[in-house]
Amino acid sequence: MRPLCGLRADPMAISYPTTLVEALDRLPAAEERGFRFFTLDREEKYFPFHALRSEAHRRAAFLGTLEVPAMYGRPAGRLAHGDTVALVLPENHEFVLSFLGASVAGLVPVPVYPGASFKVTAHYVEALAHILGAAKSRVVVCNARNLETVKQLKERPETKDVVILVAEEAFLGDAPPFTPPVVTPDDLCFLQFTSGSTNQPKGVMIRHRNLVANTTAFLGPEGLNAGALHGRPDDVGVSWLPLFHDMGLIGFVLGTLIMDLPVVLFPTTTFARSPLLWLELITRHKGTITYAPNFAYQLVAKRVKDKDLGALDLSTLRVAGCGAEPIRARTLVEFAEKLAPAKFAPTALLPSYGMAESCLAITFHRRGTPMRVDRVDPAALREGRAVPSEAEGALELVGCGVPFPGHELAIVDEAGAPVGERVVGQILSRGPSVNDGYYENPGASAESFRDGWLWSGDLGYVADGDIFICGRAKDLIIIHGANHYPSDIEWVVGDIEGVRRGNVVAFSVMKDGVEQLVIAAEGNSGDAVRLRAEITRVVQDAFGLVAAHVAICPVGALPKTSSGKAQRKKSKAMWESKELEEHP
Amino acid sequence: MNRGELIKIFQRMASEVAEKDFSHVTEDVGIAQLGIDSLGMLELIAAMERELGISVPDEQLVGIQTVRQLLDLVERRMTK
Repeated sequence: MRPLCGLRADPMAISYPTTLVEALDRLPAAEERGFRFFTLDREEKYFPFHALRSEAHRRAAFLGTLEVPAMYGRPAGRLAHGDTVALVLPENHEFVLSFLGASVAGLVPVPVYPGASFKVTAHYVEALAHILGAAKSRVVVCNARNLETVKQLKERPETKDVVILVAEEAFLGDAPPFTPPVVTPDDLCFLQFTSGSTNQPKGVMIRHRNLVANTTAFLGPEGLNAGALHGRPDDVGVSWLPLFHDMGLIGFVLGTLIMDLPVVLFPTTTFARSPLLWLELITRHKGTITYAPNFAYQLVAKRVKDKDLGALDLSTLRVAGCGAEPIRARTLVEFAEKLAPAKFAPTALLPSYGMAESCLAITFHRRGTPMRVDRVDPAALREGRAVPSEAEGALELVGCGVPFPGHELAIVDEAGAPVGERVVGQILSRGPSVNDGYYENPGASAESFRDGWLWSGDLGYVADGDIFICGRAKDLIIIHGANHYPSDIEWVVGDIEGVRRGNVVAFSVMKDGVEQLVIAAEGNSGDAVRLRAEITRVVQDAFGLVAAHVAICPVGALPKTSSGKAQRKKSKAMWESKELEEHP
Repeated sequence: MNRGELIKIFQRMASEVAEKDFSHVTEDVGIAQLGIDSLGMLELIAAMERELGISVPDEQLVGIQTVRQLLDLVERRMTK
């Protein structure tokens, strides 16, 4: 390994790796620089960077020499350069090592939400099968603890031949002889399947050059200026974000490897079980950078008691980023106030905006400056204009700053024409972070990616140089930072006896700055109590979600298209203006 | 510990997590009916783990829909 040189934060002097594989080669040999993991069994596992690299090369040899059957029109034999490998790995260190192993072998990892094992719903296995089909994955790597679930793929005709590797067993012993291929910046690095519903999953194609462009932007001098590569060898990332989602994966694994930035990673479920552990780990490991969706700051502010503050020291935290879901000003203000005695600096708060289709980050609030809150008139905003208002009932929107050097942002109307200051339009992004499209899905790609511009489906406006996100044109629901597709929820609800498919809608509404799920289904008044209970149960079972409201409406109450299908946007509008009839 | 005592512990912990009064919640109620989603369920189980000195891995929570099923699971973990 060559030692790093040129540690000054002068962009002209920084030589960045051009691929993730090259990044692994360039990481320093120092024992104390590496990734610290907490396992689901509450053990601590530390991997210095050099150990991550050597284990990645070992796993690459096993994956690169694996014999797989003919599937998806590809012949039996070894995997070819660019073939995909699905990773369904709840254990973070196994996920990272398998991901890196696939990358070194010239293969394309496909992270998938791991769900859980045992008595899992058929819905999860179906979703998994759909993703494998869309990604054309012939190999799945899982853990021992979720093998029971993943094995159910074998019962489905389309995935019966898939090769399942158990990470704890498949990489033991001497690695077979294998020469890793040359991986180039244009090669696919991985596929991200957080866009698209179960029936129509869409895999964002992230090439090495996109990954490097985005991480060097948001971790570079105009972004967080983070890691040893930017003269900050004391930076430590602390995160519980799930690694199958871009904020955790690119923010705290791939980007950090590219910038030589040690991290402490613990499982998302461990955070949910003990939210304050997040702050304890930042204290213990002198964390300088962390990120979470809004709900996590809200949860911690609620849970932290005065007696907890004495043991906490957040003075090292220079970045407390917030993204992946709408940002609520009062949540962050309250968090800062509650944690001030623990030496939390409010200027650490970093509202951010982005999406997988642009790798991860599109805009950052200007680092080190106080949060910007815009108070606007709700009625005018519904009409498409952000008119400042100090009246009671004014909406509070948080500024998400500006795009990165080399990247452009535009706010356009439906025809694609740029709109002016404080006018709401769709947010478009262009630059080297923007991906080429969805894997083997030209139709979906053509909708979202046009002439190099990414049509985000998000609505926003610019005011005094900063972007404010204020709505969504696309039918996407985001709860706890995770994407959910109305069609998936409607499908599951449509299975219930007494509910007619096509007569259900799922949508989200903002209530006091928090996004909430609403489900409306037509049914008979005598059935309303049972239907509400059933809908609540199946939605919790399939998605882990609880709707803020389940409306059982008289047959014919939901607005329909000419072909008789319930209309989501109209239903939502009727709901919000209290025009939707509902059984008591 | 008998079932009645266990139910009382559940009622107290669920009330804390959901910030509602669940002191009269009975076993046949669905956990989702209480407004507790997958995130809340994890906090709830962690609170019960601490109170009862047990451990309940994530995967054992899948398919737990009612209070009864949750308390049955907790009892199984207590006898381990």
